[in-house]
Amino acid sequence: MDTAQRNLERLRPLIVRLTAAVAANDASQLERLLDDLGEARRKDLVSELRRLTLQVRSALETFQFDERFAAFAGKDMPHARQRLAHVMTLTDEAAHQTMGLIEQSGPLVDVLVASHTSPGPELSSAAAQLRRNLSEMLLAQGYQDLTGQIVRSVIKLVGEVEEALSGLTGLTEGTPTQAADAPAFNANGYGPVVPGVEHGSAVGSQHDVDALLSGLGL
Amino acid sequence: MTTPNSLRFLVVDDFSTMRRIIKNLLEGLGYQDIVEADDGKTALPMLQSGKFDFVITDWNMPLMPGLELLKAIRADANLKHLPVLMVTAEAQREQIVEAAQAGVSGYVVKPFTADVLQQKLQKILQSRAAAAS
Repeated sequence: MDTAQRNLERLRPLIVRLTAAVAANDASQLERLLDDLGEARRKDLVSELRRLTLQVRSALETFQFDERFAAFAGKDMPHARQRLAHVMTLTDEAAHQTMGLIEQSGPLVDVLVASHTSPGPELSSAAAQLRRNLSEMLLAQGYQDLTGQIVRSVIKLVGEVEEALSGLTGLTEGTPTQAADAPAFNANGYGPVVPGVEHGSAVGSQHDVDALLSGLGL
Repeated sequence: MTTPNSLRFLVVDDFSTMRRIIKNLLEGLGYQDIVEADDGKTALPMLQSGKFDFVITDWNMPLMPGLELLKAIRADANLKHLPVLMVTAEAQREQIVEAAQAGVSGYVVKPFTADVLQQKLQKILQSRAAAAS
């Protein structure tokens, strides 16, 4: 039996008496019975409110005392940010170390070529290829910039989730925090395109950039 | 009169790795005078006080993005003719159009090759030389 049906059964005797009072044209009895009906409805409302309040409190307490949840906001999220920042430091150091070696190697190629009184075409060709390889190795270190920008955007996201979680725990302690509105357009840029991640109207290559700019007369 | 190789460059990027790459590539092309800045905000006063001939800038930087730097350069009577080449991972069509409308001289998307950088540099310098003659 649902709540509405139960209420109907409970109120049925009252309603029968109300009908009888109307039939008997007993105005004062009708008034009393209507008061009783109002009181019965008020009690229903209060008990329903009490039940809901208990449910909300219990839900919030569960939320607040969920250890996993607390660990997320208090420890795991800051740690995740630190780990990602460390990845950036490591890749930065490795890229600079590699570039240092590349910068040293260019002049070494010159020394090797100069040490031959009459370098043949084979040596000249090998030296030229070495210089090209060194240049490619140098450019490849650009990965640190690209991955760094992606990692930095994830660090920012983790920070925002952390803040939102802290706000929720604060809610149970009566100190709600306001969520910031997400900007529609990121004036600072979107960062590198990541495969599998929505990238809107991004161009596919330098060729596309050139075509687009050429269409604009540049 | 400055010879092409005596051009003074300002390379603006918040990643020191990328600044070092661009500096190396420019040196490989024979340019010697290359100064670095780690943000648009530090670059702008350097441009206003120093004598630079060419700016290569990233877009996505924490304090002053490259697009804002470009707009500030174009709005400054002493700097507005400075060539500005944007070298960035930002690849949205609207962004490229916006940069073009703001007066960018060239746009290179990361990752790029040494050839692409050289081509864009030459194209900008040639069109400047043609406009001056």
